[in-house]
Amino acid sequence: MEKQVDSAREPDVSGAMSRDEVASVITALEPDQLIAAKERHHVPRRRLTRTETVLFWGLRIYLMFMVGVVMYQIWTGAR
Amino acid sequence: MKEQETAPEPQSGIASRAVLGDPAAGDLAALGSAVVITHEDIDRAHDREQVSATRARRGFRPRLRLFWLLIGPGILVMLGENDGPSMLSYAATGARFGVGFFLPFVVLTFLMACVVQEMTVRLGAATHRGHAELIFERFGPFWGWFSMVDLMVGNFLTLVTEFIAIRAGLGFFGVRPAVAVCSALLVLSVALMTHRYWTWERIILGAAIFNLAFVPVALLTHPNWGAVGRALVTWSPLPGGVTQETVLILLANIGATVTPWMLFFQQSAIADKGLTIRDIRMGRVDTALGAALATVAALATMLATAPLFLRHMTAANFEAAEFAQALQPMIGHWGAALFALGMFEAGMVAAITISTSSAYAFGEVARRPHSLNLPFSEGKSFYLVLLVEAVAAAGLVLIPGIPLVYIVLVVNVIAVLAMPPALLFLYMLVNDREIMGELVSPTWANALALAVVTILVGAGLLFGVSVIAPNALAMLGGR
Repeated sequence: MEKQVDSAREPDVSGAMSRDEVASVITALEPDQLIAAKERHHVPRRRLTRTETVLFWGLRIYLMFMVGVVMYQIWTGAR
Repeated sequence: MKEQETAPEPQSGIASRAVLGDPAAGDLAALGSAVVITHEDIDRAHDREQVSATRARRGFRPRLRLFWLLIGPGILVMLGENDGPSMLSYAATGARFGVGFFLPFVVLTFLMACVVQEMTVRLGAATHRGHAELIFERFGPFWGWFSMVDLMVGNFLTLVTEFIAIRAGLGFFGVRPAVAVCSALLVLSVALMTHRYWTWERIILGAAIFNLAFVPVALLTHPNWGAVGRALVTWSPLPGGVTQETVLILLANIGATVTPWMLFFQQSAIADKGLTIRDIRMGRVDTALGAALATVAALATMLATAPLFLRHMTAANFEAAEFAQALQPMIGHWGAALFALGMFEAGMVAAITISTSSAYAFGEVARRPHSLNLPFSEGKSFYLVLLVEAVAAAGLVLIPGIPLVYIVLVVNVIAVLAMPPALLFLYMLVNDREIMGELVSPTWANALALAVVTILVGAGLLFGVSVIAPNALAMLGGR
């Protein structure tokens, strides 16, 4: 095991379980459904391409601008 | 179904890098007592055992039971989105513009919601992770925080409107605002006390079905069914052309069906429920069924409340439960009471699902336990975020003099404006072969998704033009 799960998050209860019970839990779930597996294995970061970065910023600017428009509408409506 | 059982299973990118190996292949012995099992794992495994046992059986009844076991997130998210501000938007639409343009338009918006939510079904089942978690891990905290702020601000504003609807609905029965809001918080807390996703989901599903209370109310107003049928088949042009008012209503109707919290909620709920790649087909059925039920309820609300607006009811009267009171002469006390209960239900279910989506997202980002299967002692931060957000929104509704009407009007508009950035994350994730494997979106699904983004951005820009330069709308045939 690469790394133990932080016990402050979700306590390990396998100690109170029989070997068969542990086996049935592992069998019922897909390997990466176990909380311990999710804690250990993270989705790797991807590098954004230039086009993707432009799209991300473009939509972010669009959103900020449009929120400003909504505020303006509320302000003019209140007057 | 048979095809699904015999065809080779598509592999997600994450599943193909199985971290614990295949238990069936004898890896259990190697795992021994080293494996960490949590309460959450045990509850989820119990649910999955029932699904596996049911799937192994043949016949109609096992299939029906499988359907019962696997439905939930799709219906909840669609009926949850038929919330207070949505119902107000539908009501305003039907009365102000008739049924010619907007009945089919609302059907179209729910089709858009289906396209978008189907992607979250695949993403959740393939990765077993929530939406916020994937955004943070795949795109990093910089973009992740933007996404979180959009979600949290939108969710909080929407939650406020849900408590406005709750207050309005119970106000019809003479319940005082403080009592109404506190009762809603109590209901929300009691639902959480199950500490079990399955039980919580069934309770909220039972409550969500009351969204259809607007159907008998619509029937009591005796709609002109010929006009309704013609509207749905012919789709007449926008009455009066493109004006500032029609653009606002257009945006409000889109925002009533397609919003960021839905992406986060459904994907997280699918991960919490434990759905896998084999369940994607049923997840799609669940989503389509939810959309169909929500469409019926939305159309019914438009038809039911149309007569109210002929009496010049506005959103300013919303908090006083005057909609239901004004309906009373036409549909009687019980009909009006049903309308008021429907409004209460719309706010109540949405308050629960929206605050849950915030709690899921917070837990995923902060790497804290985040599941409705957790006992309170293990999921303190999850439950506290959920409750604190709900209490804060409820408290805001009780402040005297606060402009509730502006909040109600703005919420759906902001939801539409925040959707394109949220959809870009979703689009990129669902086309990411490294995490989706063979489950990446096919070309036709991408074309539909891009059409949805185009419509949303177009509607947003049209709204911007209508506010900043209303005279420019004349070029589009409006006034």
